[in-house]
Amino acid sequence: MTRTDTFLARVAGWMLALLWVLPLLYAIWAAFHAPEFEAKFDLTAPLTLHNFSRAWEQAPFARYFLNTILLVTMILSVQLVLCTLAAFAFARLEFPGKNAAFALVLVQLMVTPDILLVENYKTIRALGLVDTIVAIGLPYFASGFAIFLLRQTFMTIPRELDEAARVEGCTLLGLLWRVYVPLGKPAMLAFGLVSVSHHWNNFLWPLIITNSVETRPLTVGLSLFSTTDSGTDWALIMAATLMTSAPLLLGFLLFQRQFVQSFMRAGIK
Amino acid sequence: MTLRQHFLATAALFALATPAFAIDLEFYFPVAVGGKAAETVQALTDNYMKAHPDVKISAIYTGSYVDTTAKAITAARGGNPPELIIAGAADMFAFIDEELVVAFDDLVSEADKAAWLGGFFPAFMANSQADGKTWGIPFQRSTPVLYWNKDAFKAAGLDPEKGPANWAEMVEMGKKLTVKDAGGAVKQYGVQIPSSGFPSWLWSGIVAGAGGKMANAAGNETYFNSPEAIAALEAIVALSKTDGVMAPGILEWGSTPKAFFEGQAAMIWTTTGNLTNVRTNAPFPFGVGFLPGLKQNGAPTGGGNFYLMKGNNEAELKAAVDFVKWATSPEQAANWTIATGYVAPRADVWETPVMKDYVAGFPQAAVARDQLQYAIAELTVFEGPKVTQIINSALEAAITGQKSPKEALDAAQADADAILKAYR
Repeated sequence: MTRTDTFLARVAGWMLALLWVLPLLYAIWAAFHAPEFEAKFDLTAPLTLHNFSRAWEQAPFARYFLNTILLVTMILSVQLVLCTLAAFAFARLEFPGKNAAFALVLVQLMVTPDILLVENYKTIRALGLVDTIVAIGLPYFASGFAIFLLRQTFMTIPRELDEAARVEGCTLLGLLWRVYVPLGKPAMLAFGLVSVSHHWNNFLWPLIITNSVETRPLTVGLSLFSTTDSGTDWALIMAATLMTSAPLLLGFLLFQRQFVQSFMRAGIK
Repeated sequence: MTLRQHFLATAALFALATPAFAIDLEFYFPVAVGGKAAETVQALTDNYMKAHPDVKISAIYTGSYVDTTAKAITAARGGNPPELIIAGAADMFAFIDEELVVAFDDLVSEADKAAWLGGFFPAFMANSQADGKTWGIPFQRSTPVLYWNKDAFKAAGLDPEKGPANWAEMVEMGKKLTVKDAGGAVKQYGVQIPSSGFPSWLWSGIVAGAGGKMANAAGNETYFNSPEAIAALEAIVALSKTDGVMAPGILEWGSTPKAFFEGQAAMIWTTTGNLTNVRTNAPFPFGVGFLPGLKQNGAPTGGGNFYLMKGNNEAELKAAVDFVKWATSPEQAANWTIATGYVAPRADVWETPVMKDYVAGFPQAAVARDQLQYAIAELTVFEGPKVTQIINSALEAAITGQKSPKEALDAAQADADAILKAYR
């Protein structure tokens, strides 16, 4: 690559990054200034935290935070256990109907969850779980994406390691725990990020299956600010949005290097 | 008193004092205005339960109108319908078509039919009744009005106490109100009629003002390419194209009040749902008037109705009706209107002392009510969301200049016909 090429690539990179970060910068601007400055960019404008306190008072956000954290932790831990076991079976064990079963898992990737709203509702209702946090997570526990991703990762692990462990007398579960899980960590981390951010932001299904403050996640609380009939209060919305997405943003910034590396290794782009 | 009598008396007293919770109701409600609307609904149900200890109502906040409809349909299909919901009045035919709702008529007494159902403003009932039955009870209803900036009127040499009486006057005033800086860039436009998201709502106000209508009462035929409809769209396109009194392109609905407060537009069209917002935030005195019409006064109605959902037993539905009756009673409806800015849906509400005081101190609030006699129903047809999407895209195409108004509306009418044929 010549010098100009590098330079151009760098400029393009900066432009893209700027374009991407603009909405976030605007959110920060609007959230920390009084509503008069929503569209007036005056650097000397007084900063304020008032929007945050206004937003915090409109809904029981503390409870919503707790619910969302419980929700994403529960979903991710169940997904990791279930999907690691399934992926290991698909990658390394032989059993009748293996290919058909794996094809079924792949079919799950093709179906958008919204089509299943009514069927999922019926199932949850039959189980008597309407309006619980478990109900929000249940349809996502056996994630086709996670099974597929982990199976592909496990397939790339050299047979020699597997055989060496077996020769040493390792049980099947021990083999999974000592060989496959450590080597599959980057893929798990990458999937964890996708899963957590997806369920942190999920709105429609939680709204439909829950009814009370005790079970509803942050996104449902945020929807209080979609006031189409009375004009949009950008300062308030931006404060609420920043407040609810802050933990994710901070988490990403802190572990940015690990995330980027694991994405490269796991091949999710 | 013998011991036995004493025992019986105590038992009776105990039975009376303990809330039995004989009836458990679920009530889904959307919120589309800022402030404390959700808390006001909660307070409404709490007060009702205090007065009626045998009924328990869970008021469940369900997001926007669209989200509420999605949740109610999913719950009904999943075999667990709520008893009562508030959803868009324009969704009436969709609910009838999907067989999700029960009419109010069979659940109210003959006396109530006349006194209660008959007491709502006819403009609101236009899309609450069909086939001779009442499917919705008006509650959070609105209608668009024109707001004008009195300071800007003064600065332009206009009478600040008088808004435009008709379309021609609005254009003429708009020209005086459009202010350019030395470089020729516009600092203040005369008028802003927002066109993002759901332009068909405000457009139907212009159609009504031209003497036209959106659709027939049976909800199976639209009049998108009627001469009135075409004239209405040509008028709105001309505002920025030839009259030069409105900013070109698609104008955001959500930021229109902001543009008004900041002096970017001297007159705006928006819902009465904004009244409280404008009253609190406008840094200048403002006037509220009827939508100026091309030929006559005219406006659409909008907002949400109470619906009863199928799949519940009669006792539950009757209890729900009782709550709706209470919520629309003069005293409760007056509180609701003052808290949110929605138009109180019955004449008797406006007769209450609270409401009279409110109007006396804030006469702008009565404009929406007075405009109702000229109002038509917003687009309320079978397959409502689809047909609305068709007309909204057509309007956007004409406003951005991709199609001529006639072309766009002819195509929209043909598409709507193709969908609605099945319902004729």
